[in-house]
Amino acid sequence: MAKLSMKERYSLLTRDLDWTPTYVDPKDVYPYTRYEGIKIHDWDAWEDPFRLTIDSYCKYQAEKDKKLYAVIDGFAQGQGHLSVADARYFNSLKLFLQGVTPLEYAAHRHFAYLARHLDGPGARFAALCQSIDELRHCQTEIHTLSQFNKYYGGFHDWSRMHDRVWYLSVPKSFFDDGISAGPFEFLTAISFSFEYFLTNLLFVPFMSGASFNGDLATMTFGFSAQSDESRHMTLGLEVIKFMLEQDEGNVPIIQDWIDKWFWRGYRLLGLVAGMMDYMLPKKVMSWKEAFELYLEEQMLNGLFPDLEFYGVRPPRHVEQAIIEKEYVSHQVYWILYQFSFAAAFNTTVPTDEELDWLSASYPETFDRYYRPLWEKARRIQDGGGRFFFQGLPQLCQTCQIPMGFTEPGNPAEIAQRHSEYKGERFNFCSDGCQWIFDREPEKYVQAWLPVHQIYQGNCGGATVPEVLDWYGIEQGSDNLEYLTSPDKASWDEWHAPAALPGGGK
Amino acid sequence: MAVNALGPYDFPSADRQENFGDDMLVHVLWANNMMFCSAACFRAPRAMPWEDFKAQLMDPWAASDPDYEPSAPKGWALDGKPFNPEPGQSLAELGVVHKGLITFEA
Repeated sequence: MAKLSMKERYSLLTRDLDWTPTYVDPKDVYPYTRYEGIKIHDWDAWEDPFRLTIDSYCKYQAEKDKKLYAVIDGFAQGQGHLSVADARYFNSLKLFLQGVTPLEYAAHRHFAYLARHLDGPGARFAALCQSIDELRHCQTEIHTLSQFNKYYGGFHDWSRMHDRVWYLSVPKSFFDDGISAGPFEFLTAISFSFEYFLTNLLFVPFMSGASFNGDLATMTFGFSAQSDESRHMTLGLEVIKFMLEQDEGNVPIIQDWIDKWFWRGYRLLGLVAGMMDYMLPKKVMSWKEAFELYLEEQMLNGLFPDLEFYGVRPPRHVEQAIIEKEYVSHQVYWILYQFSFAAAFNTTVPTDEELDWLSASYPETFDRYYRPLWEKARRIQDGGGRFFFQGLPQLCQTCQIPMGFTEPGNPAEIAQRHSEYKGERFNFCSDGCQWIFDREPEKYVQAWLPVHQIYQGNCGGATVPEVLDWYGIEQGSDNLEYLTSPDKASWDEWHAPAALPGGGK
Repeated sequence: MAVNALGPYDFPSADRQENFGDDMLVHVLWANNMMFCSAACFRAPRAMPWEDFKAQLMDPWAASDPDYEPSAPKGWALDGKPFNPEPGQSLAELGVVHKGLITFEA
């Protein structure tokens, strides 16, 4: 029997499995693809740039899994965790496991929904593959990182923490916002804004961070996911072009979503910015450099001139993000530092070498605004104390991050914005978050803000220990200062020079 | 602009005043001190006198910074407008609203 060409296989295994319903109105079969105002005239115009079929997809993924698990096993059996740059590095992985891995699972679920509910078979199949990818990423991340749970705090209960802990409500609410939108907004939010526009700013810090800091297992996971991610990126661009080309009326709707989801994603990546500049013992590059390379150069100078053809302009408020590149990472890590009594990772004052690196990387802002703060925090620590914010912070109604961001261009003045809706006041960290609220206040008034929920008595009790118990945080090991943490103590013990026989030197 | 939805979309606010009974949420920002990454959020009775609010809630929080002196705060403002709270006035009498913002310098 003659072998089918790739094109024929693709046609038979995807498009040809579709049929036009005759005894049910197609609108009842696909009830979710009309109410957002996006008009699709021809679903067959959807191009699958990869012409993937389910058999080749599965074969390829299975091969990648095999390679990855061989590396993970070897790394674990060889006590690979002992050869990373420093135990402090694991804090970035804790943040990843608690904050990002559950998003992979949420993405898996929602792409499965799209794989059922998009009208076109090509688009449905692309969503199906991405759904399986996301499930695989969730599983492989869990498997890669589970080996560290035996030796370090903060790796257990990450799923429960994701649903409850204050800084994890930031990624959780971001994704919930996307999932609770219609399918086309979700595609713009996740496939385009997140997977295409912002993805390098998420993946490079974590995966290059793993590579620079000697974590072969996580680095290999990164490689294993990379080919999927590049497929998702291509899909993200395809999705946006497809929607833009289908109907001119789609353009303003999509522009509005791009504006919203750029700022939503950018605020979320603030956590990555803080991680990148402070949690990696060996630095990859600064957040500012990454932002300039991946966002300004590749996206604003590369992608958006192409999108101009469709009438799409760069996202609203992007000019404020550009101004913030000089200081946003310092603001976020300063938040994490002073609230790490309630976090499932440890923080600490940067070392002298790190302070100098930060000065050199941020010549306009670091010595003037942030070095004095770290020096004071160190003085407090040298005196036997530890600086913590002894209370709960004001939260932004939209991004849910403690309101530590400042007026654009002035790192010394905390920005305060508020709107009134049905007689109630709502607070925001920035023009971007306020703008997002104002266009859909009915949605964001429902936000589950961790601080307000604690004060309503919904988080295990009124005291910090009760709330931490409810979070699933093991007090004294998962949280607090790195220098006095069990992670540091174990690391030092495992790396102490072995005593020589006979007591000799 | 309203939420695009398939059906009626009307849900109560998660933090509406009634969820806090006779209390409300009050934010306090130490404006010229970057040691505090953000304003603090307190739950306080609307009838709480200013002196109690300051002594029982605000002072212990501000003392997170060892340089804080309880007599030092000045330049009080309520939602950006200067105001002079009297010790015996309640938060409600002072015009503090649920989730409103008090700022000071020290």
